[in-house]
Amino acid sequence: MQPDLSAKSLKVTSLISVGQHPKSGRARRAEQDARAVELGLTLSDDQLEMLHVGSGDKTVMRSYLGMGLPKMTLLKQGDRGDAVPVLCDYLATHAPDILLTGVRAESGEASGMLPFLLAEKLGWPLVSRIAEIGEVNDGVAEVLQALPRGQRRAIKVRLPFVASVDNAAAEPRQSAFGPGQRAGINDMPVAGGDDVVRSGWEESPARKKPKRLKVVKAKTAADRFKAATAKASGGGGKVLKKESPAEQAQAVLDLLIEEGVVR
Amino acid sequence: MSDLIRRDPRTEWIARNRLHPLHGEALFSTSGHPVGDVRGPSGLLRKNPHGVGFIGPNGIKRIDRLAIQLGESGPQGGQRRGAKAAVEVQLPLVTVESPDFYVVAVLDMVGGRLTGHDKDVLGQGHKLVAATEGKGAVVAVTFGDSKEEGFDKAGVDRLIQFRGEQYDGYSPEQRVTALEAVERELDPEYWLFPDSIAGGQELGCRLAARLGERPATQAWQVDAFTSLCRGGSQRIDISRETPRLLLLGEECADQIDETRHEAVVIELASVPASLSRIEDCGAVDVDPSQVPLGEAEFILSAGNGIHDWDQFHQAAETLRATEGASRVAVDDGFMPRHRQVGATGTWVTARVYVAVGISGAIQHMQGIGQCDKVVAINSDAGCDMVKRADLSVIGDSQQILAELIRLVESRQQGGAEDAA
Amino acid sequence: MILDGLLPVLISVALALLAIGALRRISLWRAGQPESVNIIAGLMAVPRRYMVDLHHVVERDKYMSNTHVATAGGFVLSMVLIILVHLVGLDNSLLAWALLASTALMFIGAVFVYKRRQNPPSRLSKGAWMRLPKSLLSFAATFFIVTLPAAGLLPVNFGGWVLALVLMAGIVLGLGELLFGMGWGGPMKHAFAGALHLAFHRRAERFGGGRSTGLKPVNLTAKILGVSKPSDFKWNQLLGFDACVQCGRCEAVCPAFAAGQPLNPKKLIQDMVVGLAGGSDANYAGSAYPGKDVGNAKGGPTQVITEGLVSPETLWSCTTCRACVEECPMVIEHVDAIVDMRRFLTLEKGDTPNKGAETLENLIATDNPNGFAPASRMNWAADQNLRVMADVKDVDVLFWVSDGAFDMRSQRILRAFVKLLKAANVDFAVLGDEERDSGDVARRLGDDATFQSLAKRNIETLSKYRFNRIVTTDPHAFHVLKNEYKDFYPDGQAPEYEVFHHTTFINELVKASALKLDMYKGGTVTYHDPCYLGRYNGEYDSPRELLAELGIELAEMERSGFRSRCCGGGGGAPITDIPGERRIADMRMEDAVATGAELVAVGCQQCTAMLEGVVEPRPEIKDIAEIVVESLIEEVH
Ligand SMILES: Cc1cc2nc3c(=O)[nH]c(=O)nc-3n(C[C@H](O)[C@H](O)[C@H](O)COP(=O)(O)OP(=O)(O)OC[C@H]3O[C@@H](n4cnc5c(N)ncnc54)[C@H](O)[C@@H]3O)c2cc1C
Ligand code: SF4
Ligand code: SF4
Repeated sequence: MQPDLSAKSLKVTSLISVGQHPKSGRARRAEQDARAVELGLTLSDDQLEMLHVGSGDKTVMRSYLGMGLPKMTLLKQGDRGDAVPVLCDYLATHAPDILLTGVRAESGEASGMLPFLLAEKLGWPLVSRIAEIGEVNDGVAEVLQALPRGQRRAIKVRLPFVASVDNAAAEPRQSAFGPGQRAGINDMPVAGGDDVVRSGWEESPARKKPKRLKVVKAKTAADRFKAATAKASGGGGKVLKKESPAEQAQAVLDLLIEEGVVR
Repeated sequence: MSDLIRRDPRTEWIARNRLHPLHGEALFSTSGHPVGDVRGPSGLLRKNPHGVGFIGPNGIKRIDRLAIQLGESGPQGGQRRGAKAAVEVQLPLVTVESPDFYVVAVLDMVGGRLTGHDKDVLGQGHKLVAATEGKGAVVAVTFGDSKEEGFDKAGVDRLIQFRGEQYDGYSPEQRVTALEAVERELDPEYWLFPDSIAGGQELGCRLAARLGERPATQAWQVDAFTSLCRGGSQRIDISRETPRLLLLGEECADQIDETRHEAVVIELASVPASLSRIEDCGAVDVDPSQVPLGEAEFILSAGNGIHDWDQFHQAAETLRATEGASRVAVDDGFMPRHRQVGATGTWVTARVYVAVGISGAIQHMQGIGQCDKVVAINSDAGCDMVKRADLSVIGDSQQILAELIRLVESRQQGGAEDAA
Repeated sequence: MILDGLLPVLISVALALLAIGALRRISLWRAGQPESVNIIAGLMAVPRRYMVDLHHVVERDKYMSNTHVATAGGFVLSMVLIILVHLVGLDNSLLAWALLASTALMFIGAVFVYKRRQNPPSRLSKGAWMRLPKSLLSFAATFFIVTLPAAGLLPVNFGGWVLALVLMAGIVLGLGELLFGMGWGGPMKHAFAGALHLAFHRRAERFGGGRSTGLKPVNLTAKILGVSKPSDFKWNQLLGFDACVQCGRCEAVCPAFAAGQPLNPKKLIQDMVVGLAGGSDANYAGSAYPGKDVGNAKGGPTQVITEGLVSPETLWSCTTCRACVEECPMVIEHVDAIVDMRRFLTLEKGDTPNKGAETLENLIATDNPNGFAPASRMNWAADQNLRVMADVKDVDVLFWVSDGAFDMRSQRILRAFVKLLKAANVDFAVLGDEERDSGDVARRLGDDATFQSLAKRNIETLSKYRFNRIVTTDPHAFHVLKNEYKDFYPDGQAPEYEVFHHTTFINELVKASALKLDMYKGGTVTYHDPCYLGRYNGEYDSPRELLAELGIELAEMERSGFRSRCCGGGGGAPITDIPGERRIADMRMEDAVATGAELVAVGCQQCTAMLEGVVEPRPEIKDIAEIVVESLIEEVH
């Protein structure tokens, strides 16, 4: 779906955050936010505003800017600040037609609440987990929402709206070092309260979640029987060598059915 | 039900196939003997010590020597065929009359049925009820038509079902309005949602924003006082006071399986209609074979061991699988480049990956590192793909695929007849 | 003779045109970026560089080297004498005799040029180059004839109008090609540009047997990073392009070209010439980029190269194997140019193809190209009981493990090498989780920002510890540590260690009898020279000596040593993965199979991966460390 020309005059704001690499924990361009910027760029390359609230890690901000925007807005706030009131204030005066966010942050609480809070406070509709924005006509946008298994749902939503961008959206373009280094960061200090609730929390490195044991309780004879005969999970895979092709195919099919991919 | 003895060829051959996952059950339903008993070459009945026993609640293997649970008292041997394999044990019914408070669980109900995650959430509901003073009831809230018959056994004391076309499809605004009505009428002690992509997370967040609650999200260890929540990128745990609204991770609590509950339906007085600014225009049917590899859940992947490409495509279509390929298949021009799996192709995250005629070169393996179940169809039992696979069938890919296509087709037809 | 009056005029005009053309050409080069050179010393060095260094390369083709000596020598001598005899008018029969001799020499040379052109190999360009032998012949012949009277061999007024006209035509043709053409972009331009290129070469270290293979750093604060337009090259790079003789030796050895990927180094250099002079490639008469037509490329000094002149896939097809550079008689630096242009694509356009972007992001976020947890770098050695630098602080040998640590196949090589180190009681340690990717891939993919960041952080780590030597099994890390890190040491500091490739190091151990080895017992073995060990660092002998120590007589591939054909794994080529008709690794495996070898010995984990990626049946592939370990006689203590 190609956005039509009228879409080009849309005002789009993409919110960006400081992401985190899942393996190294190093700060980086967040995957979903980068997709939100990518989507914004395809919708309106000259009217896209990139907005961040926080301390504005320089390398991360520059890696977003390397996607080709000449500048961005940084609402400068301490690390413990609450971004929502600050954003609401800002967006009330700089209202875009479309506000794009990620689904969940990559660090900290990662509650996924931010788009919902903004939509609620601004009184705008919100569409979650979108993959694409198509045509925008007469103040109504056609949006494709990502569903599990690569499926999609078509949705129409009235402008202005908030949308959270799913991992199924188009991959973000590569960040180029040179332009990222030269782009401008308009920083505006803002007065926002600290996130007081959070200060009472305790953070620790993630613990391994215990695997649920398959325990058998007295229920039905069949259940016990099944448990007693089940192949212990783990260990090497099963290899069927001598069976006939039909039997082998049946074994494969049984696994596919058990896994729920063939219905 | 007639007592005619019917032959079930499939069960019979599964019973002959010791390696079949359902072998045990099949053997049981055909012979009536537990798998522990094997007819030896001399015709003697032998005990297989590995085949007996089960894991008890404390994780220790037990052998039920009294065989009380095996229903030995029931009809013997062949007569059991066709009959229901086991007698249902009647679980004790738990009733809550005029509860002092409610714990409301809003469920995903994918396809109109409780998901595992839903059951975990209901289990958590009961844990919270138990930890709170007074008598509490767990209320399940569902949207749309349900096919579920097991609400009682999943721990549902009360049930609120919002039905009607205003709740169909993507209708988050109307659903939140409905939940607000629940809030007004029941004033729940806790609101519980599965933190899932099937709708739970979205609805939970919406309601939290509406009610001004700060939810616990990705919570995976919750009691009445503290909740342990998984943070960003799965790298931290946040320990915090348990709030009133919780979005719960999978396996947050044990499911209810020892009691039955009333599942009394509650009707709400009235739910106002919400102003809808979102219009659901329906699902866009995406051909599974066209799903981007990175998003696919089930991949049938072809390598140098495929000789009949039409058959391969047919197999993918019949199985409704997304097509993948090894680099050799791509280089040789049989598959497009964007279907290549591996180091220089796509790193896939499919739950099930079926590799047909792929040897399992390290560059290919890199691409399937995150796959849950791998099936290998290969003529070489010694190749690396077989070492990695959870299930391998050794033989000619063409023959096996042909059988697979036949089986799936006959299954689909059978399914259609069943439905008819 | 009638020509007597005309000849000086013609010569003067031709010389004047040459001068004007030359100045114009020089002004084209000067559109490039400044780079300081030592003009006097450079010019003084030309004869030596020509006679020694250039001929060292040309000599690989004996036919051509003799031909070139005769033709070029004859021409230079003739030209000097023509000026003296026919322009200045020195009436000295000795000079005239000398001129006769030199034109004769040139004529003989030109005859051989002519013969070569009768049935030229496909790597040679046609077009104007087919005309050159004729022009050379007519120049030599006509000046021979017009000099006869001056030598007193013919009467001054011999011949008539007809002969005069014929001679006249020959002279115009000869002077036109050789003098006018030299300044105005004809084939003879190579002589003029070539001489100056030798004088002002950007890597003067290469002359006199030196080696200079490290890439030059990018100034990351510059207005534009990398080369977008021809004028972004250094002026002497532009000059270098102009020196190309279109001999196509680079084309003949280029693995990407042979694999049918859209790259031909000769065409690339010619496109650079089109770019610096402005125009189109319509006159190019050599092999095209495979799969692309000639005639559509247009460019100019200030036009973006990748928008119409050279397509990005061409630049990304290169494996940076340096085979072209090694073969080029004009000492042109293809790899520098290609990487310069890649730098623009990556750093300015953010357009690294295929897995390139992902690899670079991983390098930035995890210090390894596949995004593994940096804290798992030492997992491979859990059972190896290795000493870590952070604990020991001071050792003799630092073993640089490289990203092979994350790869199961490469781990076998690492373990083999560790076993040898232990067997020889070497005092060594590793950096452990403190090590980072060397930056090689980032740099070849054009991301000098990431390379520099990795290099600087690695240098910081290295500087914390004391050791005498670094040894690594990875030729890419070896090259980068040895040749490229020195540009990034803080001011006033320099690396204080030597860097060794493991084959060199093991060879030393064996020579010092620190390792007891049995004879090799397998079948025929061939050895594949890794580009970054061989051509980049000149190490051809140690691996061979080492294999010989095991009693292995190598069945050498036709292309081995400095002519070794790349496995396809360098320069990030497997990451950018530009499609061709064949895979480079398959061709290399064919080379190996042709020797009848059952085992291909290599000295690089990347080569191992590439060659093992070839579908079976094929010979086995083993790193030299693995082969040596198999023959190790373990002492019982
Ligand atoms: C830098 C680099 C990057 C690479 N990137 C990738 C990548 O991203 N993805 C990738 O896949 N490869 C990649 N490769 C190539 C990889 O190394 C292997 O060459 C390739 O994966 C082999 O493909 P294959 O398994 O289909 O073929 P083969 O290795 O030829 O295997 C064919 C298999 O089919 C079996 N077979 C044959 N006939 C039949 C039959 N009738 N029925 C059943 N089985 C049969 C054989 O037993 C064998 O196991 C890369 C290689 C390199 C060097
Ligand atoms: S670049 Fe060098 S090797 Fe290639 S054609 Fe030109 S002169 Fe010959
Ligand atoms: S470096 Fe190698 S691949 Fe690149 S152009 Fe030269 S010969 Fe070709």
